[in-house]
Amino acid sequence: MKEVLISYNTIKETVAKLLNKEWNVITPSPDGIRYTAITSSDEINLAGDQRPTNISVKEFFFPKTDPVFYFKKNQSEVELIDAVLNDKKNLFLGIKPCDAAGIPVLDKIFNWDYKDEFFNSRVNNSVIIGLACSYSDPQCFCTSVNLSPDSTKGSDLFLIPVDNSGFRLQVITEKGSAFLKEFGALEETSGPAHPKNSTVPDKKFDYDKVKNWLDNNFQSDFWKGKGELCLGCAQCAFVCPVCHCFDIIDESCGYECGRRVKNWDACQFGLFTKHASGHNPRNDQSKRYRQRINHKFKYYDDKFGEILCTGCGRCSRDCVAGIDIGEILAEINTF
Amino acid sequence: MPGLVEISKEILNNKQAAYIIGYEIDKHNRVKPFVAHNADEAERLTFNHHALNNLAVYLKRLPKPKEGKIGIVAKGCDIRAIVGLIQENQVNRDDLYIIGVNCSGVATDYDVEFNPENTQIKCKYCQLKTPAVYDVLIGESEEFPLPEDKMGDMMAKIEAMTPEEKFTFWSEQFEKCVKCYACRQVCPLCYCEQCIAEKSVPQWVETSSSVKGNFAWNIIRAFHLAGRCVGCNECERACPADIPLSLLNKKMGMTAKQEFDYSHGMAIDQPTLVGNYNLKDNQDFIK
Amino acid sequence: METTTFEPKITAFVCNWCTYTGADLAGTSRLKQQTNARLIRVPCTGRIDPLFIIKAFENGADGVLISGCHPGDCHYNTGNYHARRRWIMFRELLNFIGIDEKRLHFSWVSAAEGKKWVDVVDEVIDTVRKEGPFLKYKNLNKQFPVPSEQILVNKE
Repeated sequence: MKEVLISYNTIKETVAKLLNKEWNVITPSPDGIRYTAITSSDEINLAGDQRPTNISVKEFFFPKTDPVFYFKKNQSEVELIDAVLNDKKNLFLGIKPCDAAGIPVLDKIFNWDYKDEFFNSRVNNSVIIGLACSYSDPQCFCTSVNLSPDSTKGSDLFLIPVDNSGFRLQVITEKGSAFLKEFGALEETSGPAHPKNSTVPDKKFDYDKVKNWLDNNFQSDFWKGKGELCLGCAQCAFVCPVCHCFDIIDESCGYECGRRVKNWDACQFGLFTKHASGHNPRNDQSKRYRQRINHKFKYYDDKFGEILCTGCGRCSRDCVAGIDIGEILAEINTF
Repeated sequence: MPGLVEISKEILNNKQAAYIIGYEIDKHNRVKPFVAHNADEAERLTFNHHALNNLAVYLKRLPKPKEGKIGIVAKGCDIRAIVGLIQENQVNRDDLYIIGVNCSGVATDYDVEFNPENTQIKCKYCQLKTPAVYDVLIGESEEFPLPEDKMGDMMAKIEAMTPEEKFTFWSEQFEKCVKCYACRQVCPLCYCEQCIAEKSVPQWVETSSSVKGNFAWNIIRAFHLAGRCVGCNECERACPADIPLSLLNKKMGMTAKQEFDYSHGMAIDQPTLVGNYNLKDNQDFIK
Repeated sequence: METTTFEPKITAFVCNWCTYTGADLAGTSRLKQQTNARLIRVPCTGRIDPLFIIKAFENGADGVLISGCHPGDCHYNTGNYHARRRWIMFRELLNFIGIDEKRLHFSWVSAAEGKKWVDVVDEVIDTVRKEGPFLKYKNLNKQFPVPSEQILVNKE
């Protein structure tokens, strides 16, 4: 893997160049709520010890409200107009490994039986520069789902901070390599690199053991108490970098025009599985919670070979009722 | 909290209560809601300055026990919500065993250390440090210095804006809304079986998170809680996009106080604002 | 070159028993009034959910007028009392959000007050005409067409 040393100033200059060329440059916002596009190279946020943002980077590839097409009525005819796909280029700078790893995971579902051109075009227009993470709290568990604070999964280029002198920049994909060629004055190599100490979350559970239990215990009484405290607010699904359920609805945008949109949805909502007949197969919160765990840690793996979780811990931090998915899996691990 | 575990064990053992909704502290020192079904589980009940959740929201979500009451550990602001539910016939007073707790303020978030000078803003406006309604009262009430009036400052700032500026301010806030409905789910007084937002024929409130739909949703929620909101601030704490929802509900609370001298949830026999009318209500804005 | 002056669209929610009849009386008496108001008849002002007002603004109304029976005269005895309470709260909320109170009007018009109805409608239309089109709410409607990207820019 090609690796170079790069200084903070060089990154700043490259960003300034990109902003001039009308690229979108996106970094974690300083208040830690979500990722935002910056307007000047002074606003770069490369703090690897910041807590993961409240809302993940998924909203740039799979927005919360995504128009699919528009329709307009002209007298008796209906005109269909495709949604315009923005072809602006995006640079994602300083993305946490637990966020970046979500992109290849989402890629599996969005290119399964139907190629989702919205998602694909956004990924194709983006270069992702991951940043090694030096933050850890009791809710993190990336090491339990086959990831780590310096995992390069999903990143095109990867930055590892080096004591006060800049970063090691690793080239992971072809796209990353092409990006460097186009914008790099980056062939600096000198001296040995000293990686900063990163705090590594303890392993909370053995994934294979948990998966094995999930394979055999759908009807277990274990699930009964689990949904008791859940309020069905679905924040866990909305902040997650890989949860991807969506609803498709038609709505009007005026009297003679309308649009079809994809909106974020979540299996924790009471109405998620309600049939038109009124019957609801998942009619209480424990059944819905069981679905969440099984989808993330069993069904997605069975189907696509990926765990539908990156261990970022956002769901546990944001849960109003304090339900901690890492702890639940650790409990399963003891069975 | 002295007395909490003993009382809980007693009422569970003598079957006066079928289960108790309270708080526990987990191994990462996070205080969260917990339901104790028997005396062993009651050992885990606790209460401290991080007991943030408003447990009244669980009264309508947990199954009603066939025998025995529902025990609930509640501080002043939570009890206002319980009184609100009783007034609206959602729970019976006789079905509840309220363990009232003398509260001296709660921290701003579960991972923020408690500092008497930096409690939640709602504590500044608290009118019920000693709960009004309870079956048993525990805990010592301590006076604490009132926190900075950040909300009051923010409200004054908005009131001073022109309509254009106010609209721009709220447009920016509502652009962040992701329509997760967490504000509604955590609110104890949002108990409608079918929310107006879920009605699709006709569709009253747009479900997409476009600014138009977000305006309608937030205004309607604030209005449906006008005169009923107890100021527990759980909605703002739950919002993932950090929208200052408390400002909207506080505005309605202030209007209720100014125009009708009313605060919701102070006493069970107090006539409610929205369920009543007065022949002398203000009508100088009506032509 | 002819310039078109702005003509406001007013949506009026009126109660069936008093105001609607009053408006009818204004018609049969051949009283002259401006025609910008579209009436929506409801059984009683107590039926009016503030959501109706929001929907009216969303769908292009520049102003909203709500009118019903005088207190004490409600056909259903107490509907307008409840409505009056709601309006007190809702006015404050809309004002707080930034929707000018000059766009939302209330009145009591009885079945015999054809002349008063004409005066009220004319006053409302003139006031809203001075305010201009309610562009800010209308522009919330401009979702068509829009690129599929929603990138939030850092706002300090």
